Amino acid sequence: MLLLDLSKSMLAPLPDSENGSSVERQKIEVARTAVFQILQDAVNASSLFGLVTFTETVRVPVPLGEIHRENLPYIENLIALLQPSGRSAIWDALAVGADLLRSGTNGVRGNLVLVTDGWDNASTRFDVRAKPDAALGAGRVDLVPYVLPANSKVTLRIIGIGSGAERDKGVDVGRMGQFLEQMNGRASSLGLPAAFTFQEVTTGGQLFAQMVNAFVDVGYDDDAPIEDLHPEELARHAANAARALKEPQQHATVAKIHAGAPASRADPDTTFSEAPDLEVDVVATATHGGAPISLKERYGPLGEVIEAYQAGDFDTALQLIGRTQGVVPPVTRLYWEARIQYARRAIVEAARALLQAWTEAEKLPPATQARILRRLALLQARMQNDKETETLVRFIDETEHRLGNGDPKGRERLMDLFTKLMELRGTYQLTQLAGEGDLQDAALKHEAAVEEVFGLLQDARLDLSSSGSVVEGALDFIEICLAEMR
Amino acid sequence: MPAVKVTTRTRRPAGAKREMKRGPDTARIAVVGIPASGKTTYFRFLSGHFGLNLPILYIPARVDNGTMPLYGDLENDVALEETTYETTDPTDPEGSLETTTRYYVNRPMEDRRKLWVELSAGREDQGILTKYPLPTKFNQFVEMKLRFRYGAADGDAGSRPMELQTIDEAGGIIADYFTYDRLWLDSTDAEVSEKSCRVIPHFDSWRPDRRDLWRRGLTLLGRFVQEADAIILLLAPGLPSLRDQAQQVNLARGVFRYVRARNLPLVIAISKSDKLNEFYGEVEQSVRDRTFRSAFDPVDFLLRRDGAGMGTILVAQEGRGISVKEDVYLIASAVSTGEGHPLFIGETGQEAPTSGTTTLGVPVMVNTTLPLARACERILALRATKGS
Repeated sequence: MLLLDLSKSMLAPLPDSENGSSVERQKIEVARTAVFQILQDAVNASSLFGLVTFTETVRVPVPLGEIHRENLPYIENLIALLQPSGRSAIWDALAVGADLLRSGTNGVRGNLVLVTDGWDNASTRFDVRAKPDAALGAGRVDLVPYVLPANSKVTLRIIGIGSGAERDKGVDVGRMGQFLEQMNGRASSLGLPAAFTFQEVTTGGQLFAQMVNAFVDVGYDDDAPIEDLHPEELARHAANAARALKEPQQHATVAKIHAGAPASRADPDTTFSEAPDLEVDVVATATHGGAPISLKERYGPLGEVIEAYQAGDFDTALQLIGRTQGVVPPVTRLYWEARIQYARRAIVEAARALLQAWTEAEKLPPATQARILRRLALLQARMQNDKETETLVRFIDETEHRLGNGDPKGRERLMDLFTKLMELRGTYQLTQLAGEGDLQDAALKHEAAVEEVFGLLQDARLDLSSSGSVVEGALDFIEICLAEMR
Repeated sequence: MPAVKVTTRTRRPAGAKREMKRGPDTARIAVVGIPASGKTTYFRFLSGHFGLNLPILYIPARVDNGTMPLYGDLENDVALEETTYETTDPTDPEGSLETTTRYYVNRPMEDRRKLWVELSAGREDQGILTKYPLPTKFNQFVEMKLRFRYGAADGDAGSRPMELQTIDEAGGIIADYFTYDRLWLDSTDAEVSEKSCRVIPHFDSWRPDRRDLWRRGLTLLGRFVQEADAIILLLAPGLPSLRDQAQQVNLARGVFRYVRARNLPLVIAISKSDKLNEFYGEVEQSVRDRTFRSAFDPVDFLLRRDGAGMGTILVAQEGRGISVKEDVYLIASAVSTGEGHPLFIGETGQEAPTSGTTTLGVPVMVNTTLPLARACERILALRATKGS
């Protein structure tokens, strides 16, 4: 649930970046662009999304639900028409957001993201105590237990725009601190995970980066689009990829990745994590599909880093990535540090940063972890000149990416097949390690596993026969890999 | 000695229908393999063997000096029957399907040289023997039936009629049929549907006439393997193309699934084995020195040195309908002057000269009859078990 402040102060300008830029955009403009991006990501991932806006009044322009692609233009129009006015009922808005995530006795389950630039000056029903034992205003309800009842699994990210040191210049840092402190205390007393953060942003770029919270990557210049491959080349690629599965000692990176379909119809029970959701976007390179309009516009400070990287200005890119600490997610920052260092041929520094990125990636929620792990694996494979792993990872990753706009069920099915293909590593390895007496047993298990995947592949062929060349190519790839796993 | 004369003409008046003699207890063996796995050569050499007793080497050498209870079908004047199914005009999507049947009959051989030359030549030079009227695999396939007897030389005294069957020029159809079990038929009058054909990669993108021909081929194959009493799987080693390798492994896995589901005897023949370096050495020495007794261990070779890349798969199948030791054979059918084949000897056992007068080559089969005999043996054993 995204809770967006539409008070009049959101019309105020915000500098675009810290480094002396004279460009200023209204806070609402930046926020709106970010909401568009979040919406697009929600559609691609088939995840649930809802929007609550608030002035003195709290409204729900987009109720929580799965956004269907065909409805996207209407929702975008609706968001474009949102105009700031009036004051801010922050506490009431948080309560409405919590209500939308409430599920009976299971408490509140899901993720809340609050974007505000002001102080609460208009709530009529809810309030936050100044201290845990302080009294509330007459007729007010305590927000903290309302948002966090027993059995809840909720994350809360508060993105405050502007410096809150001075009234009407930014968020009331003191009140937010009190609120979060009480949230943490209640979580602790109920034995619930405490995943509540507050981040202050002072520029348009930072605001965007905080809202979108992205892992952005770009392809490599020498990547050939997979759909352009001749069938025999495809077969060679598949055979190479199968080698990465068959020889784990030589391709250790493969053990770190999994194909994992993105979690669709987000189920709070399975996707809950203390870490915030991270949107993953792989941008087409200039040589493949044209450069994006403006990376800086699209991804804030991270976009600036990528623009410098793509221009070959690695020193500037390194400086810029250094400044994103606390603004972009750690895994994103460390990955880009590794990538830039690798481009500068500083292999040791690149390896160090990548190792830290792997550690950060392990903390990510499963919904976004798979894709990010693959991007890390791709960089590691390139650093180690491990073509087999690179081929395997690229194929899985590109397939998922290219199917991003397709039927989610078909995509999930393919990714599930990739997962099962990768699981064959286990049974195959047993055939290699088994002694004379156990060899037949191991071979039998492996063959049974291969046959099971092959059965699923056939069903997928029958059901997805008209789904286009990307699906066909992926199925061909899996089929050849299966034949190679002998 | 009766001989097989390979001809496209029949001895009957034109237009008269040839009556095939197939008794109710005729056992049928299906031969399957991917394109270029050696199906045609297998049929041609065997039909030659039944008439000519072409020399066969056994590696390692058999203690019984190669005696094999396989005989030409003396009751039937047709040794080999080939029916070509082809679209009349490959460019015409509405074109109809035509069939032409060609009979290879038993008769005393008039010109021994001719047969040998024809058998020995490469595919391009074999003329009518292997070159079908339209040599494209996209608009035709050929049903092949070879009749023989198993048991005793005398047809009335204990020998059984047998029929070896395949669809030639259709390795792709065979590979698809067994690979994708969603295509399998369960009765001899069932048809492979257009819908189930979509399990074949890119089937929808094919030309309509090719799709139709392929579906007919799958149906024909499905029906005759449904009737089959045993299957011989031909595997070609050392395929250069990765796609061919994948196709062959998928076919093999499919055949294993098929025979297990239907409790059918399966025999595997690793064909063109003379292309395998280690085996080549044994073949060459055996050809040069008939007293040579090879100690070559085919099982060890197949499982540990991976003759056709099938080691793990074969191990997994051991005891599940096949025995690697008894049901898997390395075979080769070649002639002395074939294209680069290793058997460079003349009729006298000497190496054929590379210049001067053309010397006729000797057709030599290595273990070729072993899988066939084993298939027959297993059919009879199964029938005996069922009978008892």
